[in-house]
Amino acid sequence: MHRVAVLKFPGTNGDYDVLRALGLAGLRGELVWHRDYKSGLYDAVILPGGFSYGDYLRAGAVAAQTPAVEHVRRDAERGVPVLGICNGFQILTEAGLLPGALAPNEPPGFISKWIRVRINDVKTPFTHLYEPGEVVYMPIAHAEGRYVPSGSYSAAAKYVESPNGSFDDVAGVARSNVLGLMPHPERAVDRDVSRGGTGGLKLWLSLKEWLKR
Amino acid sequence: MGLTQQELVLIKSSLGREPTGAELAFFTSHWSEHCSYKSTRRWLRRLPGRAPWVVRGRGTDAPLVEVERGLYVSFKIESHNHPSAVDPYNGAATGVGGIIRDILTVGAVPVALLVNLHFGPPDDPHARWIMDNVVRGIADYGNRVGVPVVGGETWFDEDFTYTPIVLATCVGVVERDAVPPGGVEPGDLIVVAGLGADRSGLGGSAFASKVLEGGEDPGAVQVADPLTGKKLIDAVREARRCVKYIKDLGGGGLATALAELAHWFFLGVEFHLDKLHLRDSSMAPEELLVSETQERLIFVVAPDKLPCLLSALEKYELPYSVPGRFVEGGRVRAFWRGVAVVDVPVELADGAPDIEWPRKAYEPPPLPDIPEPPLDKAIDVVLSSPNVASKERIYMRFDFDVGVRTAVKPGEGGAAVLKLYEYGQLGLVVKGDANPRYAYLNPRLGAANAFVKAYRNVAVTGGVPLAAVDSINVGSPERPHVYWQFVEAVEGLREAAEALEVPIVGGKVSLYNEYGGRPVKPTVAVVVLGKIADVSKANKAVWRLGDKIFLWGVTKAEVGGSEYLKRVHGVVAGAPPSVDYGAEREIVGVIQSWLGRISGATDVGLGGLAAALAKMAVNSGVGAEVDVCKAPSETSRLDFLLFSESNGRFLAAGEEGPGVQIGEAHGDELVLRCGGSVLYRRGVEDLKSIMRL
Repeated sequence: MHRVAVLKFPGTNGDYDVLRALGLAGLRGELVWHRDYKSGLYDAVILPGGFSYGDYLRAGAVAAQTPAVEHVRRDAERGVPVLGICNGFQILTEAGLLPGALAPNEPPGFISKWIRVRINDVKTPFTHLYEPGEVVYMPIAHAEGRYVPSGSYSAAAKYVESPNGSFDDVAGVARSNVLGLMPHPERAVDRDVSRGGTGGLKLWLSLKEWLKR
Repeated sequence: MGLTQQELVLIKSSLGREPTGAELAFFTSHWSEHCSYKSTRRWLRRLPGRAPWVVRGRGTDAPLVEVERGLYVSFKIESHNHPSAVDPYNGAATGVGGIIRDILTVGAVPVALLVNLHFGPPDDPHARWIMDNVVRGIADYGNRVGVPVVGGETWFDEDFTYTPIVLATCVGVVERDAVPPGGVEPGDLIVVAGLGADRSGLGGSAFASKVLEGGEDPGAVQVADPLTGKKLIDAVREARRCVKYIKDLGGGGLATALAELAHWFFLGVEFHLDKLHLRDSSMAPEELLVSETQERLIFVVAPDKLPCLLSALEKYELPYSVPGRFVEGGRVRAFWRGVAVVDVPVELADGAPDIEWPRKAYEPPPLPDIPEPPLDKAIDVVLSSPNVASKERIYMRFDFDVGVRTAVKPGEGGAAVLKLYEYGQLGLVVKGDANPRYAYLNPRLGAANAFVKAYRNVAVTGGVPLAAVDSINVGSPERPHVYWQFVEAVEGLREAAEALEVPIVGGKVSLYNEYGGRPVKPTVAVVVLGKIADVSKANKAVWRLGDKIFLWGVTKAEVGGSEYLKRVHGVVAGAPPSVDYGAEREIVGVIQSWLGRISGATDVGLGGLAAALAKMAVNSGVGAEVDVCKAPSETSRLDFLLFSESNGRFLAAGEEGPGVQIGEAHGDELVLRCGGSVLYRRGVEDLKSIMRL
């Protein structure tokens, strides 16, 4: 059985949602408290959404400075698939594991909305089962999701209609085995609670297939 | 307002001496109206709270309702009106935090929040300032702790411009074996966890027990820290099986917590105030007793289980101290550097004497003769009323999907539906309703209306109602007509709960909601919780292209207190709609028998048939042609037919459906006819913009 870590910081709140989504794809996630996270133990790691350390500073900025994220960096360099969702994405950019930054929305304010997202990069461990350009419905729920690039980047996913002023409608960014997404794929896996299909499920199935390789 | 002369005399004679400064602070806080319910509890005792599925009822921090063998749901409502008037951001945020902590006391995982908000008109700058900050406060707290705001209601009325009524309800889920079992014994330890005490919210309960006069000290408003709130949620999830009891350290601070703990367990309490962890080390013992510093919980734990609790607290880096323990004998004793500064018998500590105020009934203004206006214009006016309009502008600020349980989301249906994955397709259906105009015109019938409206919303969405909580918000009880309003409201709730067989398992009373010498319209909110066996069958307020549209129930000439009367004629008068409990109960069975066989359904209420049809058209993005004169009715006036707010009605859509077919869904326009004459015609996109807040 593969070991998939679901990394939890103080203020992480999407941890159980990710565990449930992994379960639906037939993977067993392990909830790992940030102080307990060590590199070399896991086959994949997910940084769920939430408000790590309350996001009282810039979103993700404090968590990015923790030893856990250093261990994630080491794992990422060894090729371990790493996914940051929402606040997890913010942590990955703050830590420099992904390029660019996530700035306050334009117009400003927290926004909760189901939205169409186009999957552009289908070579990542989390997206290889999608068709290139496939459009999926996922919810966003963030106040700081406006992507601002610095240098080159690979737009793994784009909004069909940008809700937050993101540069070039970027919704997600990939760097080889590391993926960051502002939309929530773990919230689009169950027909009963999804507003538009279960398009998030393929992401978790992609990871499962990838780990079999 | 401090202690009354009579209360002081009682305290002195019971103690046989002058109370100390700390004791005075203790009694002033815990005997405040906010904490002691001294003006209201004699009436609240009349509310029915029992049923075979009610495991724990009123009077505790949080109730327990069994929804499935071994699975309990807890839910409770809190008002934060005074704080929200003075500091709307923190006032609302701490209201949310406080009600979440109440739910934590039974070891539950909080899964949803509902907010029932009452503001002044959205075009008033002060009302706008309060609204924007209340919404931001709720969003910043709820979003950060990861508990979704899934529903509620927003209401606008001039009365609430300076005195908002801000109600938050939390719903939690807990397996039977994870509920802290109680059974507290002498020797058990009292652990305080969370933020160190400071001067924020000092005397907040006494502050909430009087009329605001302007120039209030914002220091009486508590300050929110959602990160610590979230850590408490996580710590409870890990520690709940090793503690005996959990208590929120909220309104009234330590004074209230210690008095209630001692009283519930009929034990003495010893508490060392100098051992309490602090953020402000300059605080005096009497301040520590009544500080309402937020984000704190009390855990009662047997000494041998202390390490289990502390490991969870330390993991989440939660500050804590172990300043007290239970002892034999019935005294609440608080020490400061070895000296007893509070030493009172338990019965006295938690024994604020009842107060009964004089009552005086009033008659509402009678319904005047109203001319029939041009109907197409009247429909637009009612649909564009902020009370009827879509509240998307508000709920888009809330993370209503976190937890991934929200099967019927804000704006989608009459009630919110939450999936309980642990139990397959089982779900909760929950809705909170209030109508201050109705409650002003007739407090008893108004309260009953709030109850049946929440009940019917739950029923029409597909839930079987199980239990309710209530919140009564009025002005000063010292005004005879206000105290009468309160007592009448309780009577209305009692009547409804009994007739519907839905026990009231918790509630909150907020008094002294006044501004400029005027009490607000009584605001009686009822939140009804139900269950649905299969969430995939829940009804949203939608129809599909080609559906037939059905109306259940009879439309009566009931426009008293209606949105129509207020918006179109500028009148608040007449009697609220009558209530037929039998008819409401019948709807539960009718909907259950149609579950899964109709495309959608929605309650008919505020704004009448016209508003319900427009809402379904907008939600579906599909138009309809409806002959309103096919609706079974007891009125010949078309404006009454369109806008009457009669109870006992709902709309349904499908190939077949319950009730009388009145139309069909097609096209991209909503067309309302009476026989051959067209009363109203508007594109769905147009409707959407009319109904935007």
